[in-house]
This record gives sequence, C-alpha cells and structure tokens, in this order.
Amino acid sequence: MRPDFYILSWTDLIVSLGFIAFAIALIKYWKLDLEKTLLIATVRTFVQLTAMGYVLTYFFGQEHWLFMLGLLLLMILIASYEGQRRQKQKIPGFFVAMVVALLASTLIILGTILLFILDVKPWFSPYAAIPIGGMIIGNGLNSTSLTANRFVSELQHREGEIETLLALGATPKIAAYDSMKESIQAALIPNINAMMTVGLVQLPGVMTGQILAGIDPIIAVRYQIMIMYMWFTTATLANMIMLAIIYRQFFTKKMQLRSELLREMA
Amino acid sequence: MSHPPLFVLKDVSFRMDDKDILASITLDLHQGDFLAVLGASGAGKSTLLRMFNLLASPTSGMIRYRGQPLDVDVRTIRQNVGYLFQKPAIFNGSIKTNLLLAGRWDINLANTLDHELREILDQVELFDMPLGRNARDLSGGEQQRLALARVLLNKPQVLLLDEPTSSLDPKLSRAIMDLIKKLQSELNLTVIAVSHNHELMRRYASRVVLLHQGQIVASGSFNEVDKMNALEDAGLLKAAN
Repeated sequence: MRPDFYILSWTDLIVSLGFIAFAIALIKYWKLDLEKTLLIATVRTFVQLTAMGYVLTYFFGQEHWLFMLGLLLLMILIASYEGQRRQKQKIPGFFVAMVVALLASTLIILGTILLFILDVKPWFSPYAAIPIGGMIIGNGLNSTSLTANRFVSELQHREGEIETLLALGATPKIAAYDSMKESIQAALIPNINAMMTVGLVQLPGVMTGQILAGIDPIIAVRYQIMIMYMWFTTATLANMIMLAIIYRQFFTKKMQLRSELLREMA
Repeated sequence: MSHPPLFVLKDVSFRMDDKDILASITLDLHQGDFLAVLGASGAGKSTLLRMFNLLASPTSGMIRYRGQPLDVDVRTIRQNVGYLFQKPAIFNGSIKTNLLLAGRWDINLANTLDHELREILDQVELFDMPLGRNARDLSGGEQQRLALARVLLNKPQVLLLDEPTSSLDPKLSRAIMDLIKKLQSELNLTVIAVSHNHELMRRYASRVVLLHQGQIVASGSFNEVDKMNALEDAGLLKAAN
C-alpha cells in the first residue's frame, strides 16, 4: 500500500546529521583537510534552507506578481554574486554578465513553463514559480561558473591561435569562438550524459522528492522529464549569453587580445 | 618623384607596467623595403613589429599607413599586413583547414579551390603535400611554410616576420629566408623582419633599424650601421676579449 507521505520532524533532521558526522570521520581518516569547509557547508545548508522554508511559507501566502518578480530577481542577484565569488580568477564584468544571463534564461524558460506547459493560474503562483525558478537559476549558476573558468583557461591555452586569427583579420568573436565552443561543450556534455542515463543508473532528486511526498510516480516522472529538458536548455542559453558578454572583456576596442589580463589571471 | 612612405611612425612609445618598452620611435618605411629590426632580447623588437598590424597599439605617438591613421579599419589593415609568428600556431586539423582559417569569415576564401591551395603550397615550396594531411604532423620548417602560405592567401602587401627562423637550424633558416626574399620580389612585398641574428639578416635586408632598450640607436644600411659600431653597442656582438 502506498503511504500518503512521510513527515520529517526536526528530531529526524538532527538524526540525519549523523551522515555528516560519519563523513567527517571518513575525511579525517583520509586526511582530506575538508572538515572545516564541510562544517561550514553543513551549517549553511541548514540555515539557508530553513530560512528559505520560512521565506517560502511567507511568499506562498503572498499571491502577488510583484512579490514573485522581486523574489526571482533577488535570487538571480544572489546567484550572480555567488557565481562571481566562485571564479578562480576575477573576470571583469562577470557579475553583470551573470545577471543578464540568468535573468534572460529565467524569463524565457520559466515563462514558457508557467504559461504554456503547466498553464499555472495565476501565472505568478508561488507554488510553481519559486521551485522551478530556483532550479533554473541554480542550474544556470552551476553551469555558467564552470564554463567561465574553462573559458579563461581555453583563452590562455589558445593565445597563439587567437592572435593568429586576429592577425589574419578575424573579429574577436571569431578569434574566441574555439574557446567558447570548447568551454560550452565541456559544460553541456555532463548534462547530455545525465539525460542518457537518467532512470537507468540514478533517480533524480525532484522525482524522488515528489514520490516521497506522496505523488504518483507516473506524474513525478513527467515532471522530471520536463525538468531535464528545462535544465539542458537553461545551461545552453545561460552559457551562451554569459560568454557572448564576457568574451569582449578579453579584447580591446582595436581588436587586440588583452594578453596582460590573461597573464594576470594565470 | 619619389613615392610617399608606406608607413610613417612618429614618436611612437609603448609603456607597460610603468616601464618604457618603446620610446619615441620615429621611422619611415617605403613600398618594397626589406627592413631588419635588430636588437638583443627585451629591446622591444616584437612590440614594435606587432604595432604594424595593430596586434599592439602605441601608448603615445602616431602610425600612418598610406597617409591614413593605421587604426581606421583594423581588419583591412590586418589582411594587408600579414604576420608570421615566431612559433606558428598550427590548428588541429588538416593542412587545408589551416590554410583556410580566414575562410571562417571570408566566404570567397572559403570557396578557394583545391588546385589554388596547391599553387600556394607550391609557392612556399611545400610541393606534393596532400591537403588532407594532419598539419600537426609536419616538421617545424614545414609548419612555418604552411603558416606563410596561410598569410599569403590574404594577398598581403606587407609581411611581418617575428624571428621566423629562430627555432630552425641554420640551413633551414636560410631556406626560409631565401623563399621570403624570392616572394618579396615576385609579389612586390614590403618586409619587416625582427631578429637577433644580424648575420642572417645581413644577407636579405635592405635597411636595418637597431633597437636598444626600446630606442632606435642606429638605422640605415648595414654598411652604415657597421661604421657606427652600433651592433656592439646594442649588445648584438660580444665585446672583443
């Protein structure tokens, strides 16, 4: 018989901290020097998600489109700041590029889902917009952070090729294309691989969560399929917009490669 | 009536990290010149060379090309002023892929027929080289010839050479320079070659500019420069023991 759902109490959650204790024991045994970071991450996970729970409860009671847009914008700003912080080397203008990339992908993809796929009424219903918007922004953040780091190392690695192309008369965009292509491919291939094996070797989190919360697996699966498609398109779109903005930072107005910037970032 | 200079450099300086890489370079260059820019390592030769096709721009001063400011149309200048790098960037792929790099943005070039590509390869003395061969399998000298062919496809009027033979043995260096000299007269090219090898350049260049710590310390024909003992001053000749 299928249970309606399982309620997780605060006590249950404290018990789940045992996982982290176990992980720390393993980390110590292998001398991985990750205990402190893990502890911070553990506390942050707890605090951020708990706070988010209360924030969501509050917003779920506020059915107003302005609240919804304000919240999504706030999430995008925080994600962009986090994206900038994650950069191994500081790319000039990266924060703005992230804001634009995440904003555009959220508007396009979330808008399509709310208006045309789920047909949510009213469209700003927080029960759909917040979790799906959160997934889009989070996935966009992860993907663009990786791509930007990879893009910088591709530029450094291909400095000779880029200058050769420029010297032959290429625009900066053409000269940087191979680096953009390589870094986007590196970001998208894991997503494609995940789509290839989903359901065979792993059950994705959203689906698992829905099933645990009592949703019919067939419905949960449909959601998961939509989310996989959405993830891939978000990553593609956000990466392309981000790169289309930041590649310009590495060239001067006279179409010269800013080698000194690449060396500073090495 | 003498022709106006092809390039005019006036008080060209370049600063980087509060250091003068080039200071007040003033120089004229005429169509058909073969100019050797000599100097010890760090003298600013490559920076100067890069300015002729705008891979670098002066911090102050002015460069004119055919009477116009050089940076009016960057891409056209770069097509007219070919650059042969010290170490050619050979892209992953075939010889044809490497020849047709500019075909990525120039549709006419992208449609170049195979027999035309073979003619260019013949021109740089890469005879009977299959277009489909992996370019990274070529030897150092062959790669430099391929890079030269790639530049020639743009039909440049000026050729910039950044120590193009520094990684080659003396015999191959001579062969490449002989080829460039031959192409210069066949195609009426203006050549600017940066080198620390004054013995090699002496055979080919009609003019020489000697750089030392970012400044021109001598210029003229090799004979004139020799009379000034400037090569020694510029650190290119070891002082007699």
